[in-house]
Amino acid sequence: MKPDTKFLVVDDFSTMRRIVRGLLKEMGHLDVDEAEDGAVALHMLKARKFDFVISDINMPNMTGFDLLKGIKADPELRHLPVLMVTAEARKEDIVLAVQSGAAGYIVKPFTKATLEDKLVKIMAKLAISA
Amino acid sequence: MNDLAVAPAASPEVFQQLGLITRQLHDTLNQLGVMPKLQQSAEGLSDARSRLGYVVQKTGEAAEKVLNSVEMAKQEHADMAVATRRLAQSIEADPVKALASGAVFNYVQEVEAATARIDSHLTDIMMAQDFHDLTGQVVSKVVKLAIDLEDSLVKLLVQAAPAELAAPVEMVDSGELSGPVVNPEGRTDVVSNQNEVDDLLASLGF
Repeated sequence: MKPDTKFLVVDDFSTMRRIVRGLLKEMGHLDVDEAEDGAVALHMLKARKFDFVISDINMPNMTGFDLLKGIKADPELRHLPVLMVTAEARKEDIVLAVQSGAAGYIVKPFTKATLEDKLVKIMAKLAISA
Repeated sequence: MNDLAVAPAASPEVFQQLGLITRQLHDTLNQLGVMPKLQQSAEGLSDARSRLGYVVQKTGEAAEKVLNSVEMAKQEHADMAVATRRLAQSIEADPVKALASGAVFNYVQEVEAATARIDSHLTDIMMAQDFHDLTGQVVSKVVKLAIDLEDSLVKLLVQAAPAELAAPVEMVDSGELSGPVVNPEGRTDVVSNQNEVDDLLASLGF
């Protein structure tokens, strides 16, 4: 995964955004922006180029599900990989997310190894299909 | 539009009946013994909101403290790694000069000071965990309030409902997002860990 990959981390809890940013930094990724909900994230995605989205689901204003739908419905954004990182553990939510186009799903609490593994696998899959 | 302006005026008899029904309801609730508890619970609800706000605030502060300490400790480690590499290079180039110039002794002093600062950060991290005790007590109080309220309402429902309507109330899944699963034991509709997520998705071909 390239060090200059541009990440957008979306979560209504600033501490979780900070944790994900810290883990990405340990993996060598320094270009990380943050959004506190899906609506802000969608606005940022339309204003600036990003390569990867990591998003919570349970957020005010716009949930991660609606953000995912918004991204996949936009021709300019639908190519973006979206990794859901969330406390939502219901099987129906997991299946719904992936059927809606999520590139992966991580349940909280998670480890650095899990995040790294998912990021590498998603980018490898995208490289193959490119 | 003021609906009251166009509605027909209620007769004094209607008001009297409403007053009687209200009084009867109040007396019934008192007789059932739920009124004081319900009143207490209702007053406690606004208190519960502020208590839960406190929990959010405390846990947020603890997380910030810990993350700050971690960042500072990691910086100390990074600086020590740089200093160690620099000393190693000096020793490799000229071990006698490295010792005579004081580079080795300086390094020792740097490490001593850095480890003291790192130890302080670790202590801060440990102290930040006090949120668990503080918030745990608050959450327990809120849980007790919720239980009391539920007890009062169930008692009222059971005692006031006609016998033929006394059926168990089924929980309806509103379909809303549920947040963290507190106790997954016995449930087949949720996953407990990342391995189960991966297995589920693999079984569906994702």
